[in-house]
Amino acid sequence: MGLLTILKKMKHKEREMRLLMLGLDNAGKTTILKKFNGEDVSTISPTLGFNIKTLEHRGFKLNIWDVGGQKPLRSYWRNYFESTDGLVWVVDSADRLRLDDCRKELNALLLEERLAGATLLVFANKQDLPGALSKDGIREVLALDDIKTHHWCIVGCSAVTGENLLSGVDWLLDDIAARIFTTD
Amino acid sequence: MAALGVEMNVAQDDGETNTAVKVPESVLRRDQARLEEAERRRDVKQSQTVTEEKSDFFTSTFNAEKTQLEEMISSCNDREKAAKTLEEATVKFQQLQKFLNDSVRFLTQYEIRQAQESLQKLQSSITDKREEILPKKKFAFRSRNTSKQQQPTPIQQQTADKPAPGSVGTVVVDAADQCGFSNVDNQVLVRQAEEIQQRDVLLSHLTHCKVRLYGCPSTLHIKNIRSCEIMCGPVSSSVFVDQCTDSTLVFPCQQLRTHNTTATRVYLHVTSRAIIEDCQGVSFAPFTWTYPGILDHFKVAGLSPDRNNWTEVDDFNWLAAGTPSPNWTVIPESERICSWDFVGTAAEQS
Ligand SMILES: Nc1nc2c(ncn2[C@@H]2O[C@H](COP(=O)(O)OP(=O)(O)OP(=O)(O)O)[C@@H](O)[C@H]2O)c(=O)[nH]1
Ligand SMILES: [Mg+2]
Repeated sequence: MGLLTILKKMKHKEREMRLLMLGLDNAGKTTILKKFNGEDVSTISPTLGFNIKTLEHRGFKLNIWDVGGQKPLRSYWRNYFESTDGLVWVVDSADRLRLDDCRKELNALLLEERLAGATLLVFANKQDLPGALSKDGIREVLALDDIKTHHWCIVGCSAVTGENLLSGVDWLLDDIAARIFTTD
Repeated sequence: MAALGVEMNVAQDDGETNTAVKVPESVLRRDQARLEEAERRRDVKQSQTVTEEKSDFFTSTFNAEKTQLEEMISSCNDREKAAKTLEEATVKFQQLQKFLNDSVRFLTQYEIRQAQESLQKLQSSITDKREEILPKKKFAFRSRNTSKQQQPTPIQQQTADKPAPGSVGTVVVDAADQCGFSNVDNQVLVRQAEEIQQRDVLLSHLTHCKVRLYGCPSTLHIKNIRSCEIMCGPVSSSVFVDQCTDSTLVFPCQQLRTHNTTATRVYLHVTSRAIIEDCQGVSFAPFTWTYPGILDHFKVAGLSPDRNNWTEVDDFNWLAAGTPSPNWTVIPESERICSWDFVGTAAEQS
């Protein structure tokens, strides 16, 4: 019924997916996006609006939306929820002071009905830093094990070295593909 | 266009009565001159207003589309057709969003935010309309939603009974991993490279202090600071400055994010850009501090010592394109500090 079905059908044909990257400011969203796309990551500025990248990966067409995470911009996040297949939540693992903020923002997103069908990938980013909290630490602080409403997975990564970016995205694609390309 | 029109009139008038009549030379020449003049004027105008026109084009197109969409939504009262109309509205909405995205490069931050705000309003009016006209769908969402919201409650109670490590609330902020200074008045505060070691550093609630950080934090948080002089080695990612007054800040970093700050001077080396929001009287000059080993620290932080964009400051609150924000200025060269007090330069120890 409705547009969503039509969109799903269209996507189905093109094997297209829409991924939304969110997280607090300075988490490394834009850096992850650029690194994944093989671009220079040393000149990235704070994101004032948003970036979209369309990439081909493993025969999928990925529309990746990277939206600025500064506090005044967070109220705009909801503009991007519609027809999201995968939510990528990026965490600055070294920013212990704001992990509580980070948990609250994530929890609020998980209650959004327009994101109800999306798969959740949490990137515990900046694992290259000595002060970074481990992937398991982040999992505990964000209380990920309490999430029963979404398929989720946490991956420790570094946008600077590129470590684990691919394995995270691959998990996400597999999960989404299993859901939207094989059900009907 | 006007010139062409004249030419045709002339040709017609004479052409129909006398067969072999030519358009008089003088008329042609005059038209040619007029045409050239018009073109010249257009060229001049175009080169002056290229950016304005682009953003004008954006604004007028965006607003026209927006109005159309609003009408589409508000006039959608027929239950039969509502589903289809709302689908169309959603497609249009997504196109509009794409249009904004494609245009961000030449818009001011203010224009971007205005457009985003409009999009947000449009989106909620589509949602509202859908709920109003198609209540069945709403019910379906609701029921799914409530079952979803009920679930976490018992689970949270379980974790509250067992003192599970790291359950909600017991955030693992280990002081040992946090490096910095808080709640200090009137002191000299120094940290050496081996204490900082690419960790996040927090400086908060300091007054009348001199702070020297001879190392590379991954991120530097500066919060609630009054009348301090804070100097730091190369910061590999961002420096956050919040609620800082009457202070001097000196550091190299990749990004600078400044909020709620007044009367503060920043001697900055930034390899991408600086942003300010809700700030007044912030002034910038290029970074001039040095200490033994600082070049190695630039390397550790992954910052290029040669690329400094200290004048590229984006003000989130500044609306006008072309006119600079009044909230920040450049410190005149004659007023810049070039030599700093030596405080605890222990970098030579190691
Ligand atoms: N060491 C380290 N630094 C990183 C990593 N990822 C990002 N950074 C740095 O963190 C800072 C912020 O990165 P961005 O990609 O701009 O962060 P963002 O999440 O897009 O921030 P907003 O656009 O404000 O929402 C930059 O200085 C990056 O170089 C990482 O994996 N390791
Ligand atoms: Mg960004």
